[in-house]
Amino acid sequence: MIRFEQVSKTYKNGTPALVNISLDIEKGEFVFLVGASGSGKTTFLRLLLREESPDSGRILEAGRDIGDLPKWRVPYLRRNIGCVFQDFRLLPNKTVFENVAFALEVIGRPRSTVESQVPQILELVGLTDKSSNLPGELSGGEQQRVAVARAFVNRPLILLADEPTGNLDPANSEIIMSLLERINRTGTTVVMATHDKGLVDRMRRRVVELDRGEMIRDQVRGVYGIDEPAMGH
Amino acid sequence: MRVYLRYAIKETISNLWRNRMMTIAAVLTVAVSLSLVGAALLLKQSAAQASAQWQQGTRVTVWMEPTASKAEISTIQGQLANLPIVKSCVYYTQSQDYQEALQLLPRSESSVLSVTDVPSSFRCVPTVPQNAFVVESQFSNQPGVYSVTAPEQQIRQMNRAIRVLQIVFLALAGVLLLSATVLILNTIRMAIFSRRREVSVMKLVGATNWFIRIPYITEGFIQGLLGSVVAIIAVTALKIWYPLHNEFQLNARSLIGTSTVVLVVGVLIGSVGSAIAIRRFLDV
Repeated sequence: MIRFEQVSKTYKNGTPALVNISLDIEKGEFVFLVGASGSGKTTFLRLLLREESPDSGRILEAGRDIGDLPKWRVPYLRRNIGCVFQDFRLLPNKTVFENVAFALEVIGRPRSTVESQVPQILELVGLTDKSSNLPGELSGGEQQRVAVARAFVNRPLILLADEPTGNLDPANSEIIMSLLERINRTGTTVVMATHDKGLVDRMRRRVVELDRGEMIRDQVRGVYGIDEPAMGH
Repeated sequence: MRVYLRYAIKETISNLWRNRMMTIAAVLTVAVSLSLVGAALLLKQSAAQASAQWQQGTRVTVWMEPTASKAEISTIQGQLANLPIVKSCVYYTQSQDYQEALQLLPRSESSVLSVTDVPSSFRCVPTVPQNAFVVESQFSNQPGVYSVTAPEQQIRQMNRAIRVLQIVFLALAGVLLLSATVLILNTIRMAIFSRRREVSVMKLVGATNWFIRIPYITEGFIQGLLGSVVAIIAVTALKIWYPLHNEFQLNARSLIGTSTVVLVVGVLIGSVGSAIAIRRFLDV
């Protein structure tokens, strides 16, 4: 589903963000991306969204080189990728329902699709009774569930999560993780960047570790760190 | 498509409403500047028309009193014939002038005229146009002379004044149009800024660039359009209440032409303003 071929990226100020990364992620895999702040996790995700392009190497998604994609096709690429962030990125003046519906409306889905899909996804994340609340009236965990619902409502092939539990307490982190697992079980490829050692250790999924832009570990059923303490923040 | 149309209309209206103060400022500036453009165009057209009306006319006319004696008439005729600055003169009798008046004047006025009310006249061509004024100054106080008119010269002078006025109007309009463009650009920038969260989410979930841009383009377009509509109303009012209305017979066609120009310029200003704002501030 995702293939990096010798991908390198250096920022304008000279710091290398990613150095010669090659890896394959199969359809339906669940991959943790771990490493200290500034190790290149976010760059990795931004490249997948083509918010940035690599300096060298190729990135393939669903067999297509996304570097060859003309600029106007990029939105269509993003329709196949759901995104969840640490800071939720919900629209504060729209209700829960409207926030999720917005993701469908702005890609031109008809109202009938919106009306059938949104309640279904809100049911999945357990927020049916909050659908007319504003994000400000929800807890952090609930807001992140809305963000997950928004990311998944279009049934993307890939779900990217950048520190989705970074702002949440352990109980809410657990809820988000089990949601991501459920989404993964539907065949969606999930790539999650995280600092949360306990979570990674418990899940026993594939772990890719980055350090100053280099891939120093790719482990099939890994834990957060082998002989180093977890990086807190 | 229908989904999008509804979305775009909703977004445009809510953007306009949210920034209504800026919108009003932009619309009014467009309206004032385009009114000047319209006025300049109308002036130009009326001047052209006035000149055309007099083109085949006499360069200078010496009108005799209707009561002037035969002797007075022949004195004037002799003087005109001996004047080196006058190339040629033709004498129009009272009845010839009366016939002409019947053609030129509206029926309401010509019906009360009789032949004896109408002055006879000498229609002269000076050697150079400026000499019309010499003829005017020499003959207007002669016995038996009612008045001397040099319509073409007057029109020339007026045309010069109109041309200056036109340049002033257009220069002012240019400056105002520039500020209108900047105002529209700024309104759109504010609209984009107040929606930056929405825009970032839209990009994230894969809304196409045009989907994101079009509401802002229509916003600028509508501001330009509203401004030009106000300007057209102003120019039409100017035409209706123009004090020189009778001398400057402007037909409906020239008004339609002017309105079209005003409309096109207004819409262009709005579109250019929003296009620049989108290029600079809406990074999609």
